[in-house]
Amino acid sequence: MAIIERPAASPATTPEYVTPSASMGFLRRPVETTGWKSWAFTVDHKKIGIMYGVVAMLFFFVGGLEAVLIRAQLAQADGTILSADKYNQMFTMHATTMIFLFVMPMAAAFANYMIPLQIGARDVAFPRLNALSLWTFVFGGIFLNTSWILGGAADGGWFMYAPNSSVPFSPTNGVDFWVLGLLITGIASQVGAINLIVTVLNMRAPGMKLMRMPIFTWMAFVVQMLLLFAIPVITVALFLLMFQRNFGATFFSVEEGADPLLWQHLFWIFGHPEVYIIVLPAFGIISEVLPTFARKPLFGYPFVVFSGAAIGFVGFGVWAHHMFAAGLGPISVAVFSVATMAIAVPTGVKIINWTLTLWGGKLWFTTAMLFAIGLIVQFTIGGLSGVTHAVAPSDTQQTDTYYIVAHFHYVIFGGAVLGLFSGIYYWWPKIFGKLLNESWGRANFWFMIVGMNLTFGPMHIIGLQGQPRRMYVWTENRAGEGFFNLGFWNLVSSIGTVILAIGALLFLVNVWVSRKNPPAPADPWDARSLEWITTSPPKEHNFDRTPTVHALDEFFHRKYEDVGENGQHDYKKVATGEEVIAEEEAHADAHIHLPSPSYWPIVLALSMPILAYGVIYSTLLIVAGAAIAILALFGWALEPPTAPDDDFDPPSPDGGEPSKELVANV
Amino acid sequence: MESASTVTNMSRRVRIGLAVGLAAIVAGCAQDAPQDTWDPAGENAQMIQDLQWPVFAIAGVVGVIVLSVVAFVIVRFRDRGQAMPEQTHGKPALEIALTILPALILIGVAIPTVGTLMALNDTSDTECVVNVTGQQWWWEIDYPTQDGCGDGISAPIVTSGQMVIPTDTNVLVRGTSRDVIHSWWIPRLNGKRDMVPGRVHTVKLQADEPGIYAGQCTEFCGLSHANMRMEVIAMEPADFEAWKAKQLSDYQPPEPDTLAAAGESTFIAQCSRCHQVDGLEDADGEPVIARPDLQVYSGAAPNLSWFTTRNTFAGATWDLLIPECRAEVWDAPSDEVGQKYLEGVSPECLNSVDLREWLRNAPAKKPMYADPEQLEATDGLVRGMPNLALSEDQIDELVAYLLERQ
Repeated sequence: MAIIERPAASPATTPEYVTPSASMGFLRRPVETTGWKSWAFTVDHKKIGIMYGVVAMLFFFVGGLEAVLIRAQLAQADGTILSADKYNQMFTMHATTMIFLFVMPMAAAFANYMIPLQIGARDVAFPRLNALSLWTFVFGGIFLNTSWILGGAADGGWFMYAPNSSVPFSPTNGVDFWVLGLLITGIASQVGAINLIVTVLNMRAPGMKLMRMPIFTWMAFVVQMLLLFAIPVITVALFLLMFQRNFGATFFSVEEGADPLLWQHLFWIFGHPEVYIIVLPAFGIISEVLPTFARKPLFGYPFVVFSGAAIGFVGFGVWAHHMFAAGLGPISVAVFSVATMAIAVPTGVKIINWTLTLWGGKLWFTTAMLFAIGLIVQFTIGGLSGVTHAVAPSDTQQTDTYYIVAHFHYVIFGGAVLGLFSGIYYWWPKIFGKLLNESWGRANFWFMIVGMNLTFGPMHIIGLQGQPRRMYVWTENRAGEGFFNLGFWNLVSSIGTVILAIGALLFLVNVWVSRKNPPAPADPWDARSLEWITTSPPKEHNFDRTPTVHALDEFFHRKYEDVGENGQHDYKKVATGEEVIAEEEAHADAHIHLPSPSYWPIVLALSMPILAYGVIYSTLLIVAGAAIAILALFGWALEPPTAPDDDFDPPSPDGGEPSKELVANV
Repeated sequence: MESASTVTNMSRRVRIGLAVGLAAIVAGCAQDAPQDTWDPAGENAQMIQDLQWPVFAIAGVVGVIVLSVVAFVIVRFRDRGQAMPEQTHGKPALEIALTILPALILIGVAIPTVGTLMALNDTSDTECVVNVTGQQWWWEIDYPTQDGCGDGISAPIVTSGQMVIPTDTNVLVRGTSRDVIHSWWIPRLNGKRDMVPGRVHTVKLQADEPGIYAGQCTEFCGLSHANMRMEVIAMEPADFEAWKAKQLSDYQPPEPDTLAAAGESTFIAQCSRCHQVDGLEDADGEPVIARPDLQVYSGAAPNLSWFTTRNTFAGATWDLLIPECRAEVWDAPSDEVGQKYLEGVSPECLNSVDLREWLRNAPAKKPMYADPEQLEATDGLVRGMPNLALSEDQIDELVAYLLERQ
């Protein structure tokens, strides 16, 4: 463990530290505090969160490019921009990239960065495991995308139904890249889930009972529980498919007696909780943003918590609504249809809670707030179309058409993505110490909203009027008559994509023009929760003193006191955010222990794509990957808790910012 | 702090947006979309529609209410310099009420849902059974011998791409697949049902009026999933009997020394390995039996016995009729459509462009896996029709021969 020197104001004393009695030559801990090594080997949840976010954003644009190509192909009948083969790869990778490499990791970015800060902790429970999650995701995502240049990407659709996914029907390596890539990124999610669950349960600040936790942490916690139980199911499915394709297994061979519906059940038992994994973090984010900019608490916090937990729980019981046309028989279909209607209730409750949060408020329309309100509007539309699919007989008309594509884009883009952007604008000053520009932010927001509604709105019509999904061409013969026929709406949808793409690029423009902004105040939004009781950006150790929590919205209660009488409320500001933070600094802890960086998480993560390439190409690579993994695990287990004294840089001569790592004999 | 005018602009934009959106949805639909799920033409699709539109209406009302409240809130409670608002934490009674209300609405939706579901799955009133088998990338349709389907079917009828049924008859489609999962969907007649290898699923079809009802495979099935279509042709019982009689009639060989006779020989040499024409005999008078299982991975190829009694081909992807003739049949009034369909494809109406392109090089026209260099994964067997490198003369002969298959 590393030791932070006391802040300069306090008298210097010889700090205490722990070293092992002996360490093997290669089992050292890295010591760099600047440069690329301080990022590659870090275990700091904040740096890890930032890296998650940057890489996820990169994949957002990769997936976005794939979408633009899809819509370019479908802007006209019998399009020729993409061949059938390329198109099938494009829609498979668009969905896989957006779900597994953008939305989930971006939510992980927020969970990683914010959960420790929101619960008053200095890091997560297992910091090296956290780094492992990050690098596994990064290498898994890169591995998956190398398929484009190694014989073609996966082309079986993101839910990869059997037996189409077997070798005779998918002869290239594309599906293997998909299977192995998702196994690797699945490790990231599974390990991250365990980490964050333990963190939330064990590392909350004194006084922070579960029902005093910030709501984002609650929703992220439910998400980790969902991941914990859902990822193993898809892992099993992926292993079965990997063995089918590479090692002669017959799990999905109909001629050997297999039932192809096995894949569908396994996939959707994961797949349905997955959609709540996708959307609940965004729900958590706007549940923070809306109260801040309405200047009043979240309406019905306990209801929001319990409905989130209910969605998580019931979410495991509705998977076969993705299979209403699959031939399950009317009894099963009826059960799942009713269960799916049931889950609409806790989801709808949240819309009510958010709207009533705004009711009677004092609304401040920052960009973050615009995105949050955008989510309420767009998700309502997407959720209502979802209710129409819960009616199983209707769904036999709707499923596999563009009506479904409309639904899930409204809930994913209009729900998860708008929520994530709200979080980006909201927490940007905390993370980077600068505000994002509000004018560019508004442009970003409006282009995205107009773009998404022009892109996905017409898909409701197209789908109900008979255009199936996953087709590389549509034809005039099936497009109907009149000006507003399916051709017209396909074109409108494609034009909408361009506007949406501009909106996404405007975000990058905003990041660029804002990079030279003046430093942001510590509390720019007059916020309510614990993560704001830190500097912007937070110090490496987050809190100078672990705060004691007395209420929900602890930060709000430290700034405002109710001086009302006779049941009337009157809130008087008794401290600014800066003053609350200064109060904590004045009582800083003498000894702050932080986890040390480590080489082994990134090394272990690197072994996985090597293993995966081995499964596809060469047993030798499997051996090499396994050897690196075993080496990394040994290193991980045996490395000392901290680097030896003489590995650290001495303190700077002018006595400036204290070295973050141990300094001997101050 | 946001300026008041920007907020008013924003809420005005929201309201304009909502109004435009609603108007667009109401006015902006295709007319006569052949696969329109909101244009039922048979009792099964009608049952779904009777359940569906009220649910849409309820969802629409709820949506308008919620969005109106949101629009109201963002205008009414914007920051106008008022004091810090009351820090309400919630009103449990209100929240409980607003949880129970949607639950009650949904119970109201669930009951007719289950009822309709059971009715759609009740096959006790079946009057005609037709089998479908999905294969990459076409549909085989066969009628087993039975007493139903009008006056009965005395011997199996095998066809592809177009299913002919009598109007006002409860047809039960029994389906499976020879390879991957496909899905049978004729939107104006019923919802879809997946066709899964190793399983048999059923779906009911019933058409009130004569007509051509379009459909598409709706479960992603690989490369040419987009090119796997089908139609159901419903016709009056008398017309249906005529159709059956034709399908069960004997093979008529071409007149000797005609182009079509040359086509028959070419067909035997080039096509009959995979494509069956019932009653076809070789020069020695031996029946020519197709063995697609030796060439095609999924084991079958379309039966071409009565090829030009149909008016689409290659997985119902292309028309056999030129546009004017197509319109005559597809847009015929319901009292004429049966007769028009039974006229088949005449030489003047033949869409020879697409048919010749197909015969010239099928994989170039429709993406399939038929390149002999790339069939390792399927033990050398093709998925789809290969390029037979036919000469133009051979194509002339085959076209003449195929025109007589009616």
